[in-house]
Amino acid sequence: MNVQKSLAGILAAALAALVPSWASAQQEIKVGGIFDLTGVTSDVGKPFAQGVQDCVAVTNDAGGIGGKKIKLLGADYGYKIDQARALYKKFVNDDKVVMIQGWGTGDTEALKDFVGQDKIPYFSGSFAAPLSDPSKFPYNFFVAPTYSEQLRSWLDWVKQDYGKGGGKGKAKVAFMFGDNAYGKAPLAAGRKYAAEIGVDVVDEAVLPPNFQDATSQLLTMKQKGVEYAYINVTTTGVSLVLRDAKKLGLTVKFGSNPYGFSESLVAVAGPLAEGVTGVVPHVPFGTPVPGMKMLEAAHQKYHPTDKHDAMYVRGWASCLVWTEGLRGADKAGQMNGPGVKAAVEKLADFSTGGLSQSVTYTPADHRPTMTTSIYQIQNGKLVKIGDYIMPRTKEWFGL
Amino acid sequence: MRCGDFRQSYAEDMSLFESPLPRVLLAGLLVFLLVLPGFASTYWLDVLSRIFIAIIAATGLNVVTGYTGLISLGTAAFLAVGGFATAAMAGKAGLPFVVVIPLSGLLTALVGLVFGIPSLRLKGLYLAVATLAAHYIVEFIVTHWDAMTGGVNGISVPPAHFAGLALSDDRSMYYLILPVMVGLLFFTKNLFRTKVGKAFVAIRDQDISAEVMGVDVFRYKLLSFAVSSFIIGVAGSLLAYQARLISPENFPITLAIDYLGMVIIGGLGSILGSIFGAIFITLLPEMLRLATDALGSYWPSLMVIVAPIKTGVFGLVVVLFLIFEPDGMAARWNHIKAYWKLYPFSY
Repeated sequence: MNVQKSLAGILAAALAALVPSWASAQQEIKVGGIFDLTGVTSDVGKPFAQGVQDCVAVTNDAGGIGGKKIKLLGADYGYKIDQARALYKKFVNDDKVVMIQGWGTGDTEALKDFVGQDKIPYFSGSFAAPLSDPSKFPYNFFVAPTYSEQLRSWLDWVKQDYGKGGGKGKAKVAFMFGDNAYGKAPLAAGRKYAAEIGVDVVDEAVLPPNFQDATSQLLTMKQKGVEYAYINVTTTGVSLVLRDAKKLGLTVKFGSNPYGFSESLVAVAGPLAEGVTGVVPHVPFGTPVPGMKMLEAAHQKYHPTDKHDAMYVRGWASCLVWTEGLRGADKAGQMNGPGVKAAVEKLADFSTGGLSQSVTYTPADHRPTMTTSIYQIQNGKLVKIGDYIMPRTKEWFGL
Repeated sequence: MRCGDFRQSYAEDMSLFESPLPRVLLAGLLVFLLVLPGFASTYWLDVLSRIFIAIIAATGLNVVTGYTGLISLGTAAFLAVGGFATAAMAGKAGLPFVVVIPLSGLLTALVGLVFGIPSLRLKGLYLAVATLAAHYIVEFIVTHWDAMTGGVNGISVPPAHFAGLALSDDRSMYYLILPVMVGLLFFTKNLFRTKVGKAFVAIRDQDISAEVMGVDVFRYKLLSFAVSSFIIGVAGSLLAYQARLISPENFPITLAIDYLGMVIIGGLGSILGSIFGAIFITLLPEMLRLATDALGSYWPSLMVIVAPIKTGVFGLVVVLFLIFEPDGMAARWNHIKAYWKLYPFSY
């Protein structure tokens, strides 16, 4: 390759990057977006990013925040930690954003100390319980029950279902998870709660990153007589587990975390997904709730041919909460990190139009909601089978 | 203008600089790098710091892969050892960075020695697979040794302190990383003017001939692994100080492959190659991101479609390089230099 030509190409790319800054207006609110569009979690990261983008576009079309447009500086980090850090530094130091919509456990964990120092509210797609404790992470927010509450709720369902099915003794449960921060996040809480309510955790199976086969893990579960299993990986992984379970003739009742359970699971796993339960903190696309009208309008307007799922709704719900925060900060004349944080912490029973449970944040408690909805796939549709409400106790705070 | 080589003594043949001009240019570059933080934004300082760390680690990998001919996929693992060693020594033991950085390097060198043992019996692809095993062993240990490494959640690293000052911002980190890089580059450059370095090269070119000539192949192969791991460990230590929070997710196997890409694109067996490769591979995603972001902010809904193209372009550029410049960027650089050296009488 010709070095001069390649250099020219790089220069051209750099120049192209400078162009939009000329076009940018004075009256705008800059928000950073760290998304995974190409990495290991891109199967769920892409619809989430699309939801956030559409929500920003709709908000801007409706007049923005007090007349100011939101400028979403979204970028892909491919689930690479160093890329997330580089983006963060660019957003905070060069672009001077007021807050950031982040994504997974990887970037959120790597940045949690920085966002506190720099006073940048950081909304994550990670619902890890420690992030809900403002005494440790005052600038971290998310819009869902914590991973721990989700697993506790699912265990409640297991106990109910086992009793209904006439099971004797204790239900035998297994946890399947990836060997990373996201995969392991709710385990300690799950183990403890299972012991409290009388459910037996008989197996914990590790699923390697980008695994293609779960036969050996499932055979172990079969030997141990597992009756229920909670899968804590993303959609692609869940469908692989379901495929191998079918192959081995397992009768285990599977449940999934919210990143493995949506319309996409039905699309990928087909009939295998029948009967699978899952945590759904954000309703499936098309659910007849008041807030869905906006999403359907955006869908018609921007990309009528795309298919959407609960991950897309998740992006919307997160964005609706922080745009409300921006509105509050704008009214108070405090359009900066601490101002947005204070405004979000004033939200009490804020409704996202039914896209998620109503959320409440206080300066001492960032647990948005204690209600977890469990859905089941019945005849290829996601059907709600119950809401599980956990007490807002001190002892579960941050765990 | 010079029009040829006029070396008259062995010392002259071994000199680092052929003429005074490169010496002046290099000094100029150093001065430029020293004053750069005065006007560069923190984002670009962060990018530069990452480039410097990549240069150090790529140089380390080049010692074992480019100069000694032993393919290693253990770079990410060695970076992890250096990084977590730093987290433990700086965080738990509270040692100052002047002790922590060399000690992290030494510890990584020890680990490298252990994982270099298979190189006695294995070569080529087989050794690559053995070092791949090393990667997974290290990854497993850092993921599960919760007490020492913080497990999957990672561990915080306190900022380095210098004369009572916390080196916590990008500018001070830049000034910490730059001299370490320059020092290690000079060390490596000089290493290959000594008996040890020449033994490495002899092993790479023909290990049987090297043995016949009296080179203790096993000893020098291990030494090569140790030196390489030391340098990579220092890079890992700097990485930990810069990142301030490291977790096993910072060191995936794809990182090791990125580093192999750096030395191959830059030029195997060349310090300059490590530098070019590290700059290229670190800057390429930044540049592509800037470009795709620009397209994305014109048509926001396009971002979701445009971003994945980045991965494809990255692969394409690497393949094009391998086809059109298989000897790496360093070789191309030397062609350009040779052309101008004899200009206008290049024949």
